[in-house]
Amino acid sequence: MSDQGRRVLITGLGIVSPLGCDLQSVWEQLSAGRSGIRRIEAFDPEGLPSQIAGEVIGYSARKYVDRQQRKALKVMCRDTLLAIGAARMALEDAGLLEWAGLDRERTGVVFGATMMSSELEELAEAAVACHDEQGQFSLKLWGERSIPTMPPLWMLKYLPNMPACHVSILYDLQGPNNTITMEEAASNLAFAEAMRIIQRGDADVMLAGGAESNVHPLRMARLCLLGDISTRNDDPAGACRPFDRDHCGLVAGEGAAVVVLESEEHARRRGARVYAELSGEAATCVANADRSWQVAVEAIAEVIRRALASAGADPEDIGFYNAHGNGSVVADRVEAAALREALGSKAGGVPVVPFKSHFGSAGTACGALEFVAGVLGLQHGQAPPSAAYREPDPECGLDVVHGEPRPLAVRSFLSVNFDRVGQCAALFVRAVGD
Amino acid sequence: MAESRRRVVVTGMAMVTPLGGDLERTWQAAKEGRSGVDYITRFDASTFPTRIAAEVKNFSLANYIPDGHERYGSAGLNAQLALAATAMLLESARLDISRLDPYRVGVYLGAGEGHQDLVTFMRLLRRAYQDGRIETPVFNAGAVAELDPVNELEQSPNMAAVHVAGFAGARGPNSNCLTACAASNQAIGEAVQLVRSGVADVMLSGGAHSMIHPLGVTGFNLLTALSTRNDEPTKASRPFDLGRDGFVLGEGAGMVVLEELEHALRRGATIHGEVIGYGLSADAFRLTDPHEDGRGAVQAMVHALRDAGLRPEDIDYINAHGTSTREGDAVETLAIKKVFGDYAYKVPVSSTKSMMGHLIAAAGVVEFILCLLAIRDGIIPPTINLETPDPECDLDYVPNEARAADVRIALSNSFGFGGQNACLIVRRFDG
Repeated sequence: MSDQGRRVLITGLGIVSPLGCDLQSVWEQLSAGRSGIRRIEAFDPEGLPSQIAGEVIGYSARKYVDRQQRKALKVMCRDTLLAIGAARMALEDAGLLEWAGLDRERTGVVFGATMMSSELEELAEAAVACHDEQGQFSLKLWGERSIPTMPPLWMLKYLPNMPACHVSILYDLQGPNNTITMEEAASNLAFAEAMRIIQRGDADVMLAGGAESNVHPLRMARLCLLGDISTRNDDPAGACRPFDRDHCGLVAGEGAAVVVLESEEHARRRGARVYAELSGEAATCVANADRSWQVAVEAIAEVIRRALASAGADPEDIGFYNAHGNGSVVADRVEAAALREALGSKAGGVPVVPFKSHFGSAGTACGALEFVAGVLGLQHGQAPPSAAYREPDPECGLDVVHGEPRPLAVRSFLSVNFDRVGQCAALFVRAVGD
Repeated sequence: MAESRRRVVVTGMAMVTPLGGDLERTWQAAKEGRSGVDYITRFDASTFPTRIAAEVKNFSLANYIPDGHERYGSAGLNAQLALAATAMLLESARLDISRLDPYRVGVYLGAGEGHQDLVTFMRLLRRAYQDGRIETPVFNAGAVAELDPVNELEQSPNMAAVHVAGFAGARGPNSNCLTACAASNQAIGEAVQLVRSGVADVMLSGGAHSMIHPLGVTGFNLLTALSTRNDEPTKASRPFDLGRDGFVLGEGAGMVVLEELEHALRRGATIHGEVIGYGLSADAFRLTDPHEDGRGAVQAMVHALRDAGLRPEDIDYINAHGTSTREGDAVETLAIKKVFGDYAYKVPVSSTKSMMGHLIAAAGVVEFILCLLAIRDGIIPPTINLETPDPECDLDYVPNEARAADVRIALSNSFGFGGQNACLIVRRFDG
């Protein structure tokens, strides 16, 4: 039934993450099972229940932008700044940055991203100006006195489509351009859409990825309010322990990852180095009216079955399961139950890697970070160990890779992500030739 | 290339707009050339540079979902507008998803982001602003204590899609895109592709958006994108007119059922038209301005024509993006001339934003539905307020009055802030 169009290959990777901003550092940290979760440094997190995050440290977007384009940096917020570094690395890694043969009308961008939060300082004067002498908020004062204090491009800095737009402008990419705003399912959905765009022939090359920063006071407060967040502030590296007996909630994160997807024909013609093939995808949604982490097991099980079918793969073909695994007790157990339902007796034999133990939960970007981490695993023939995992949660009953990297019997992974209201998306990736 | 692929038809359509609470009322007002623009009532805009907008009047979800609307009481306005349209959609399409495989029925929206509770946000910020800097511990503690968790969740831009899926019982692919003003056209286009590729048989697609809130109007005013013709609200949206001075914010929702042809025929569905062309591009130029040669708009139209296997002369009507901005309308005109050559002067082009303002993410779907209605009734809705021709805009914009015409194939353009372009082509269904 599904589209028998062109094969879609992965030919470039870029990542800006709490574990580092180049592929080699990230792999070294992953394979050592290290967590990038720390006490928040970008601002004083005192006052928040959760004061830890997978934060990107020491990143400068200026490094990734040519001199004549640097003034654009002023209208980019954190999410976009992270994205442009990852995009440049991916293009460079794919050998496309300087390649004169790139048809820019047939090269596009699809990212997962979401509405971004204004830098608080940008609104400080406005916040003062809109209160009257009694300290009451007044819309009349807002209109008269606050609006004129704000920068002209204020709104454009924070729209969800800005990472994809800036990347298209920086590299003159005139092909299909889209931004998917589906929380933790967003990046996986973006990869799937980019894959279909190539399969149907609307582009030869797509940059697929995601970018989000939750290391922001408002975003952190929001996550704390939504619940299921780890408050193990005295042990940041041990705070996110998916499927472990001591799991106690998710940890916020930030980052960006971008992957160059390319039609097989295009990649072969230019002699590109090929990491792997994106060979299957699926998405489901069982709307979750009570707004808890109790996402229906059925939706996740179904997305797993359908992604395997889409790739023409059986449970035995899963090299490792690239889990959503965010460390929430309920979500971990629901996901484990779904994996058992989808794979039956085979579920216990599938190595499971929850990359949120390394990166934290970077919202719409989490799928992209975990995708790149997964492809690095395929490249090295290993499933990297989970950070912080010690003892199994008996209710999960999964084979979580921990301690040492595990050699892969099959070079492939199944990646699943879902959000708290029941939206799920899955991808299947396998090494070419296996 | 087109012969073997699965065909996708429209088997349901619904909308809630500033011109009317449902499809037929909207269509009646559009045929009469009425304006839905008036003074803003949603909040006190009396000191804002722009005090006018096209609001959906007296909107209440209870009017659309009499039984069970309470479940969505805390949902954001975008989600509520989408739900209202979906309730009418399922009714009009006679679509009972419980009788289908729910995993082959998906949802793809271009529904807008919500907005922060401005009063609380400003109170928190003001309290934290001490000695010329933000004391984040003060802000943090206040935010955790005073923000409403349900509101924070419901404002996320994934929520309209999940509410629509839950209401309809659709368990298939669920997505939402935001590409500014191109979003719901792009959602429809990608939903069509999901059906063509065989992943789904039915997609509920469209969009919903209201930016008629203080931060929305503030943001567009800062960009100087909005009309400030506050003394003449109904004259403010004037695409292609020499006196245009920016767009007017509208709000609303539109939804369509996109269905694989054989599936639709088997269940005896009413077919309103067939989606035969979808074209995408990016300007890759500037955040705020379209490329001065209209290159992105040209590519998107060319790609849509190619996808449909049509020549420019096959298009009977173009529903323009036509926002009423100085540059946008001129560049779109130029782009239409580049794609259509001499025929550009013959094909009717109209901007319905002249009547209902700019529904931002929801603009595409509403205009797509107006194309289907033009095909159905043989009437082209007008561009109102076109009083003084602009020498740079010299096409047939169907000025001021609707026109009877045999419309078989229509093109709908949507071009977004930041440069994303999405065009759709729809054809009368005749077997």
